[in-house]
Amino acid sequence: MAKKDKDNEAFRPTGTVAVLVIFVITLILIWGTIYMILLSRGATL
Amino acid sequence: MSAKQMHIDPFERNWIVFSVIMLVLFATAVAVAAFGMGIQVPSPETRVDPKTVASDPNSPWANPGVREVVAGKKYDVYILAKTWQYLPAEVKVPVGAKVTFYVTSMDVQHGFKLQDTNVNFQIVPGQVSKLTTTFTKPGSYNYICTEYCGAAHAAMYGVVIVEP
Repeated sequence: MAKKDKDNEAFRPTGTVAVLVIFVITLILIWGTIYMILLSRGATL
Repeated sequence: MSAKQMHIDPFERNWIVFSVIMLVLFATAVAVAAFGMGIQVPSPETRVDPKTVASDPNSPWANPGVREVVAGKKYDVYILAKTWQYLPAEVKVPVGAKVTFYVTSMDVQHGFKLQDTNVNFQIVPGQVSKLTTTFTKPGSYNYICTEYCGAAHAAMYGVVIVEP
């Protein structure tokens, strides 16, 4: 692999960012769902 | 190297910013749930002697069960946990009632998870755990042990029957 290609890959990790975005969105959806369930179950005071 | 000269990769910088934003959002969500919605975690209500808690005539757990505070509206429930059962194993309250659970253990550590509610805590010998919930729908709500407490741990459960 040429040096130029290596540098490009290092600075534009498209696949990694895509996986990270999917991971974060999944995390937020799961966390948000549980949070809404928690709120819907009411107070424990 | 001074702060001005420090080089941060854009991906690293963005990730740090995103992480900080997420932490702030999580902290806000927890604060809203705890202080805005009244969803509190249990704290030790009081301390008792696990050796005498079931036999001392002055102990509510010598005769565990439901205590009516305000008819139809407010109830206290004293539950004693022991290997591998809850006393009582069945509790009846009316729908719409505000029910406070006072739970302690006379032997080892147990758990208390009241299904479909936010009531969920550890039961530590010598300590009374307390939480309150309001049952808005009639039905059966199991309470189950969530801390491994021995051979028959999986069979340790009880039920709150919310009557219409």
